[in-house]
Amino acid sequence: MAFEPILTRNVGNPDVRTVAGYRRAGGYEALAKGLATEPDELIEQVKLSGLRGRGGAGFPAGVKWGFIPKGNDRPKYLVANADESEPGTFKDRVLMEHDPHQFIEGCALCCWAVQANTCYIYIRGEYVRQAEVLEVAIADAYREGILGDNVLGSGFRLEMQVHRGAGAYICGEETGMLESLEGRRGQPRVKPPFPAVVGAFGCPTVINNVETLCNVPHIVSRGPEWFKQIGTDERNTGPKLYCLSGHVERPGVYETAIGATLDELLERAGGMLGGRELKAFQPGGASAAILPADKRAVPLDFDSLAAEGSMLGSAAVIVMDETTCLVRATRRLAAFFNHESCGQCTPCREGTNWSEMVLDRIEAGEGSAADVELIRRICNNMGGTTLCALADAAVGPLRSLVDTFGDEVEAHLAGGGCPLPERRYFEEAARV
Amino acid sequence: MPKVTIDGREIEVERGENLIEAGKKVGVQIPHYCYHPRLSVVGQCRMCLVKVEGMPKLQTACTTQVMKDGMEVKVDDPQVQEAQAGVMEFLLINHPLDCPICDQAGECGLQDYSFKHGQAFSRFEYDKKRVYPGRERIPVGPHVLLNMNRCIQCTRCVRFTEEVTGTGELGFFQRGARAEIGVFPGKQLDNPLSTCVVDICPVGALTSTEFRFAERVWYLDKEPSICTGCDVGCNITLEHREGKIRRYKPRANPEVNDYWMCDYGRGTFRRYEETPRLTTPLLREEPQAEPQRLAWSEGIRRLVQQLAALGPEDTSAFLSAGFCSTEEAYLLRRLADAVESPHRGTTLEPGEVRRIPNPQGGIEGREAAPNRRGCELAGLTPGEGGFSATDLTEGDAAGKCTLLVVADADPGSRLHRPETVERLRRAAFLVVLGWGESPLSAVADLVLPTTTHAESDGTYVNCEHRLQQFERAFPAPTGARPAVDTLLEVLAVVDARWRDLTTAEVFERMAAEVLAPAEVSFAGFPARGLSLGDGEAAAG
Amino acid sequence: MANGAGPRLGEKARKTLDALRERYPTSEALLLPALHLAQEQWGGWLPDEAIEAVAGELGLAPAKVYGVVTFYDLYHQEPVGRHRIRICTNLSCALRGATEIVETVADELGVEADEVTPDGRCSFTGFECLGACDIAPMAMIDDEYHGPLTPDAVRRLIRGLE
Repeated sequence: MAFEPILTRNVGNPDVRTVAGYRRAGGYEALAKGLATEPDELIEQVKLSGLRGRGGAGFPAGVKWGFIPKGNDRPKYLVANADESEPGTFKDRVLMEHDPHQFIEGCALCCWAVQANTCYIYIRGEYVRQAEVLEVAIADAYREGILGDNVLGSGFRLEMQVHRGAGAYICGEETGMLESLEGRRGQPRVKPPFPAVVGAFGCPTVINNVETLCNVPHIVSRGPEWFKQIGTDERNTGPKLYCLSGHVERPGVYETAIGATLDELLERAGGMLGGRELKAFQPGGASAAILPADKRAVPLDFDSLAAEGSMLGSAAVIVMDETTCLVRATRRLAAFFNHESCGQCTPCREGTNWSEMVLDRIEAGEGSAADVELIRRICNNMGGTTLCALADAAVGPLRSLVDTFGDEVEAHLAGGGCPLPERRYFEEAARV
Repeated sequence: MPKVTIDGREIEVERGENLIEAGKKVGVQIPHYCYHPRLSVVGQCRMCLVKVEGMPKLQTACTTQVMKDGMEVKVDDPQVQEAQAGVMEFLLINHPLDCPICDQAGECGLQDYSFKHGQAFSRFEYDKKRVYPGRERIPVGPHVLLNMNRCIQCTRCVRFTEEVTGTGELGFFQRGARAEIGVFPGKQLDNPLSTCVVDICPVGALTSTEFRFAERVWYLDKEPSICTGCDVGCNITLEHREGKIRRYKPRANPEVNDYWMCDYGRGTFRRYEETPRLTTPLLREEPQAEPQRLAWSEGIRRLVQQLAALGPEDTSAFLSAGFCSTEEAYLLRRLADAVESPHRGTTLEPGEVRRIPNPQGGIEGREAAPNRRGCELAGLTPGEGGFSATDLTEGDAAGKCTLLVVADADPGSRLHRPETVERLRRAAFLVVLGWGESPLSAVADLVLPTTTHAESDGTYVNCEHRLQQFERAFPAPTGARPAVDTLLEVLAVVDARWRDLTTAEVFERMAAEVLAPAEVSFAGFPARGLSLGDGEAAAG
Repeated sequence: MANGAGPRLGEKARKTLDALRERYPTSEALLLPALHLAQEQWGGWLPDEAIEAVAGELGLAPAKVYGVVTFYDLYHQEPVGRHRIRICTNLSCALRGATEIVETVADELGVEADEVTPDGRCSFTGFECLGACDIAPMAMIDDEYHGPLTPDAVRRLIRGLE
């Protein structure tokens, strides 16, 4: 079944990087239509569509918009989350590089819906070129009357500003991002108050992921009913970008209806690299529990994966073949969380650090039988005890290692280290 | 006001009150490190996790506000205890456990909670502890040392310099397990309140340069007192051992110094160590002669004799410098009354501006003496046609006096400037009551040793006209007597009603006379002091 | 720093910042942009004087700015090479040979991670996921993404740097 691309329909068409070109491809019609719609009606449409956040948490976008207080006593903001930093994730980069105006249009519609006059696009600092693409597109949009004092002649004022981050995973967390935007360390805030009430600069703020916002013009154009038809069920609707990486023949972004299985994605990506056997995969980025190969037919949507004890997250599907040592893979992820923990909360600061040390010694053959129990305890003490979800994210792969792949850990403990040789990728590639 | 139930105990609290504060009110101590009532709430140490009925996860008590009736909170709960033990374990895995050489030992949040909420063992025995090489003994400022190995990253100190002093010397650097606190290279933690970060540091990461290794804190006795460094009158806990003040710690009073005090004030107790004490009455028969040591009875007799000898042609004057207690000043005033002298005064002791933040925006002291207003309240102001303090200290009024009694001779006073000493010495007979040797006591005809605020009870009136009480912490050295006792004995000679009174009784007489109709007793003195109304007008 | 004249941001950087001021309700919000500009001015890293310059420009405490600098991986507190090579070593790239790319780069440059080559030309560091797992293993050289890399390809890239 060929899925007709929606979000990535303009990928490979450099013409759409200008307003004129994007218009030729049907762009900004949704914005015109949206501006002719009452803001509340727009929020209602997005609610009806069932669109859930594509950044990781899967919160219904329309509901989030609905939390923004009415009235104009304080400025309101949209902060578009382009801080794509979840390991394995690169879909937003593709969306911004290839179709910046689709993103700008989505932002503009959101701003109209919640009556925000300012949109900041918080883009990760490493995306230098992508920030440039956006800045060029935004300048073009100002010239063409898409942004500025009078959006498409509607009288609506909208300012848009690209704000570059500087390299910190935690800034992808909503309130860490707001702190960073305001010029501080990206340390997540105490919630409540939630950003919808006290967000950027103390004002009501919507924070949405790039992909989430890119869906909006299509919902406005084609209606929430059309959108709802796509996907697994009414709680898992719309198109979805899956980022396939790791041991697959053709890593990349694959768009399909939400709820594709790994097997379906592998088929489109040319199968496993070198025809090897699948051992395990992370369906939703570094934070998701690692699933064994026999979960390959599970629909990759919010609820099906939650039922498996994992999560859709950012839909970054990291594929690992039979040569992969899962202790080593998990240790790499633990190192990542240790590196990225902001350092505020005791359990996260100490737990991410400690878990990396424990995995280090297990991998080096210096672990002891008590270490399995220790990992479980660290997980228990980290999980659900912190300000933000980073500690829970760190627990995801860690817990699945001992629960699902305990035999691999046992093999390390029994054999005095890793039973699998470290794979020398390029030596091997040269042999083939 | 909404009601909340904590461990089965119901209490009504202000809307928006957090659970740590609500817990205090019902006697439930919820352990915490990063929370401090005067700092922004960051909810990051995670020690105060509690169970809130209806919430799926444990909540931090510091960030959970009581907004409406019916919240049910469990602190004494296995799940909460497990979380607390988990946080303690995380905090201790990298802690050096160098308590034997740590100044914080005995008043350390880690020690306290690990007994109460931790486990008896550390899982980290076989792992290497994280250390910060070269960061174990950094003087971050003139008064504060940082040992990063002991830090638990609660950031109270950072928030203090950002939010309370607004000076921002301290920062939170790096990230995750490498996170540390410090000053910017080349800068110092040198704001006037810098040592407060030592008070609020829950562990031994920040210690006081001055107090370092001075004492084990469990050997110290503590008494509520008032700092004598200026007229703010910071409420303090006076910590002492063997008749010596070892340190001052701020004692919270939101009406005055809140949780803070300045570095200057903190160091002022040293004057009581550095100045040689007067411990026996002294009499100088000839101006340049070596003083003669008198028995107390003889000392008192000499003063009584001088007073009795005053004839209608004689002039007597009574002067205080604002260092003595209100009760002493009151008795001195009564003494002046007894000899019908209108010559009464209290000198103004200008000092540097000392500003302490508090919830009202702050309090500012500008005088070097703690109790000018108390002395004036007690009546040490000129009567009709009387000499003022200025007449005595800067004019030639003293030269006209047959008898001049200076009721206090704190070495910090401007009375000890050579030109002032010279002027005061012009009196025919100069009596000095003081606790320490001073240029003035060195030339006095009669010296009567007194006590410090640490050795007597009393009250001061601060710059905002708040009457505050201090209590005796330890006995005076042999030979020194509270001025109250000395003055009472002298007064009793002329009027038996002054016989054998206590300081409390003196206070109550004074209160009845000058504070009426305020009802206040010395024994039941309000902990936050007693506001006497606003401004200078109150003192006249 | 005599006469109270501390280090300052250059004319160009200040102009850019001034233009940005109206885009934000607080001047503190200009901190990240200001640090990016300062890092450019100071040759790719932020010595203490650069931090003081930014703090002075925005009216912030230097300790606060230092806290921000040390929080973010893209701000450097040590000198870097004229060309900065960031090699992704996170899982997706690791599965495709990132370790060998790191070894190759270290061998090619003759320095360890975070060291600068004696001629000042290059420095490299292993980095967390750069959001380009579709071209794993990959590296960011200055502002450009390169991948999929092989040891030979990365050597060629490095040799092509001035």
